[in-house]
Amino acid sequence: MTLLRAEGLQRSFGGVQAVAGVSFEVAAGELFALIGPNGAGKSTCFNLINGQLRPDAGRVLLDGRDITGLPPRRIWRLGVGRTFQITATFGSLTVLENVQAALLSRQRRLFGLWRSVAAEDPAPALALLARVGMAEQAHRPCGVLAYGDLKRVELAIALANAPRLLLMDEPTAGMAPAERLSLMALTARIARESGIAVLFTEHDMDVVFRHADRILVLDRGRPLAEGRPEEVRADPRVRAVYLGEEG
Amino acid sequence: MIGNLLAQALSGLASAASLFLVAAGLTVIFGVTRIVNFAHGSLYMLGAYLAYTIVTALPRGPLSFWGGILAAALAVGLIGVLIEVLLLRRIYRAPELFQLLATFGVVLIVQDAALAIWGPQDLLGPRAPGLRGGIEILGSRFPLYDLVLIGIGATVLLLLWLLFHRTRFGILVRAATLDREMVGALGVNQRMLFTGVFFLGAALAGLAGALQLPRESVNLQMDLAIIVEAFVVVVIGGLGSLPGAALAALLIGQMQAFGILIFPKITLVVVFLVMAVVLVLRPYGLLGRPPPPHAAAHAPPAPPLAPLSPTGRRLGWLALGLAMLLPALLGEHALFVLTELAVAILFAATLHFIMGPGGMASFGHAAYFGIGAYAAALLIKHLAAPMEAGLLLAPFAAGLAGLAFGAFCVRLSGVYAAMLTLAFAQIAWSAAFQWVEFTGGDNGILGVWPSAWAADKRLYAWMTLLLCLGGALLLRHAVFAPLGLALRAQRDSPLRAEAIGINTFAVRWVAFSLAAALAGLAGVLLAFSKGSVFPTYLAIPRSVDALLMVLLGGVQTSLGPFLGAIAYTGLHEQLMRLTELWRAALGAVIIALVLFFPGGLAGIRLRRP
Amino acid sequence: MLEVSALCAHYGRAQILHGLDLSVAAGEVHVLVGRNGAGKSTTLKAIMGLLPPSGGRIIFAGQSIAGREPFEIARLGIGYVPEDRRIFAELSVAEYLEVGRRPPRPGLAPWTRERIFALFPPLAALERRPAGRTSGGEQQMLAIARTLMGHPRLILLDEPSEGLAPVILTRLGEALLALKAEGIGILLCEQNLRFAARVADRASLIERGRIVWSGPMAELLADAALRARHLAV
Repeated sequence: MTLLRAEGLQRSFGGVQAVAGVSFEVAAGELFALIGPNGAGKSTCFNLINGQLRPDAGRVLLDGRDITGLPPRRIWRLGVGRTFQITATFGSLTVLENVQAALLSRQRRLFGLWRSVAAEDPAPALALLARVGMAEQAHRPCGVLAYGDLKRVELAIALANAPRLLLMDEPTAGMAPAERLSLMALTARIARESGIAVLFTEHDMDVVFRHADRILVLDRGRPLAEGRPEEVRADPRVRAVYLGEEG
Repeated sequence: MIGNLLAQALSGLASAASLFLVAAGLTVIFGVTRIVNFAHGSLYMLGAYLAYTIVTALPRGPLSFWGGILAAALAVGLIGVLIEVLLLRRIYRAPELFQLLATFGVVLIVQDAALAIWGPQDLLGPRAPGLRGGIEILGSRFPLYDLVLIGIGATVLLLLWLLFHRTRFGILVRAATLDREMVGALGVNQRMLFTGVFFLGAALAGLAGALQLPRESVNLQMDLAIIVEAFVVVVIGGLGSLPGAALAALLIGQMQAFGILIFPKITLVVVFLVMAVVLVLRPYGLLGRPPPPHAAAHAPPAPPLAPLSPTGRRLGWLALGLAMLLPALLGEHALFVLTELAVAILFAATLHFIMGPGGMASFGHAAYFGIGAYAAALLIKHLAAPMEAGLLLAPFAAGLAGLAFGAFCVRLSGVYAAMLTLAFAQIAWSAAFQWVEFTGGDNGILGVWPSAWAADKRLYAWMTLLLCLGGALLLRHAVFAPLGLALRAQRDSPLRAEAIGINTFAVRWVAFSLAAALAGLAGVLLAFSKGSVFPTYLAIPRSVDALLMVLLGGVQTSLGPFLGAIAYTGLHEQLMRLTELWRAALGAVIIALVLFFPGGLAGIRLRRP
Repeated sequence: MLEVSALCAHYGRAQILHGLDLSVAAGEVHVLVGRNGAGKSTTLKAIMGLLPPSGGRIIFAGQSIAGREPFEIARLGIGYVPEDRRIFAELSVAEYLEVGRRPPRPGLAPWTRERIFALFPPLAALERRPAGRTSGGEQQMLAIARTLMGHPRLILLDEPSEGLAPVILTRLGEALLALKAEGIGILLCEQNLRFAARVADRASLIERGRIVWSGPMAELLADAALRARHLAV
């Protein structure tokens, strides 16, 4: 079942076509990787989908609904969770409060002035943290966590509105090699358990080929190849762009 | 008629020339060092005083006059170097508001130094030799010296252009304005460059001040008067842009010259209104550009806020209980001090709310304090309403002003937000100052007394304590409520906040307006205790007071505003009692605070393990 | 000339370099290849002092330079050409070169405007044009020329081939070989292996912030399996 559909996305910056006609589909429960060499347009493509950028042409459909050009916070309300290349968490808040902020936002209760957050039932937030293995550190401020743990907190925050789609920009960037595979294994398990579709960009090819169900390779803003990992690996055009043998 | 207009235009050009000299230095310094130098007006004032001393000490003659002016400018340049080396060099990495405050500390020190050296009276300098008279232009007389001033302005503009395009120093300055990190990576020692730029900027300010000698008397109010105008010029032209400064100086010079003819009542408002409009439409000014992307540094996350421990909570309630007992024990003067202190706590708490948890910069918080006070006073003056109506209206009016101004201010950040809040505060101030029929102008509004039941000083102090501490506690509580959580969240990471559905603009706006409303309550409570309001309620020094209280207490601690207001009020009283030079002492305290205790008083307590 | 050992670097708390070892000799072009995100640019920034290293040693010409300020490192003789070129858009080409000018370095033939224009002939015609209104290839030449005016012994060159047409690339390659012939060391980050093959003597493969292979360029070009393992998908 198709959950996310990108149709003919285009976007240019100052006359340079960063994304020149990209279409793809991601199904529920599937891990879909967007890869490509420098300047291929993955980040732009990613930002067209999460609402940070508006496409010049093309549409983004979430479960059949047109979400093209909606601001990030509206897209979030439709059930899209995000993690960032450089983790974005609230450094002065505790791990628990980080997740509670997302939960309160989901319930549209963030303008409350009377009831203090500490009086909230921590159980739902703790349950989310337990899923990513961060429950023991719930009361530490995010500002002091190790980087790998921050990535897990981000994942818990992203899961707080029970998303149907997770967008992960370079999920393992900046992590020690050993932590990378465990984070993606965790992501894959959660995605399959809950039927969440995951769209991610990634540089680490071990991570991509071990965990992605399907891969789209971009080159200079255009799709170059798409398919299952072994198909993409065997594609000579993909080898050429990655080995720097073109041009 | 045409002669009149021409004379007016020429006089506008003359003021544009001096404005340009001051603004050029300010904008060049900002472009390279990214510091908004509040003390730039003080350098201008020092230029005027030094020129007075040098020129009057020398025998009369053109050589000694112009030589004296030049010597004064160079001396001020050296003073600028001293300030850069001793102070600014240590705070280039500090938050912008701290830099602004540190240079404000210099303003205070220079004010007292000038008072001690030159005395409180206005000094009248000699006329420029050979340029005493005027010339006839199309039937209007025009002072010769003003024409010379225009010529000097144009000459300096030309010389600056040559400096920036024909010398290695100038080219490095331009390159550093575009990307100073890259300039460093090419082997240029930025320290020398920064010091050089400071010398240049300070000397230009000194020159502008010295050139005023034949035009107006030298006095101790020159510094703040010119710095506010220079801010307007630099912000309109674009921070860091020299051509922008020239353009904006022309614009403002003409606006002032013709504004007197067209709308004499609101000249000041118009000037600040132009600045606000420019900032809203083009936040980086007419010819400015966004700061280079590489300049952004990794800021460490703010320290976490936690509610008090049970013991702390008990101590807090005990302190509150004792405070509520105080009015029963105190004499009349002490009651008045207590009232002022309570007002200070609430005022500081409102600013802290938007600065600390909100991460927004405000340099014009006095606007809401004053609008609250004025709303009530006007109600009483024009409609003879009772105190209760005034008390209700004040937070409402200030909150509305917060909604209106905040809608623009909370979109900007850093220096630009500070300047826009300042512009709005100055609009409010100008209205109070210039609209004499309605607001009483400089004479203020008298007879703003409490109703009969609250006329007793003790009772009024109790009411003030109750309302102020209640308001401050409400804000403190809000920090830990969902709104406060959202506020801290958007400060820590706007990107993440938007990605979990938080409308960061709305959160900032609501918080700003709430703070404004309670600041208005603080203002009106002070007004009824003094029985009067004056434009000073809205003026820059009051905004700075609040900033100092917040910084003294610590921006990132929830007890900060309480400690800060108490410490600042106490410090202020003590300094005024102990020394004539209390301004200088206060300035020194500010600078020490910025240099050594950026975490504030509560920060010192936190640092202990 | 340059010895880097066990270099670590962080962006905030994200660790990018995990103990990287590297060396460049005088008159050598050493190319750093790897997938994007592997830490190539970060390595150059850490050497230049733009991102202070969080661990490890950097020795240049016998001196430890880790933790020193960029301007000191530049004065010791390291030139830096960033990936995005970071041009001073409003400065004319002549002014642009002036920003980079330093006093001559003993033992090196000093760079003058004339020598620069001999190396990059297209720049000669552009002296008065603002740098922001030059083409991508010209901007790349400018970025190299700017750093040459400081008479560097070593140049850190980040992805110079990016976005350049083949003709320009050929000219750029010739210029780099000329610099190499002068005895200047070059540490090059490059994704375009064909371009790197034209200029490089040695190559290092970087993966997840570490060097995983180092050897003669010819060896890397000959070993398809090695390339496939570390560069291909």
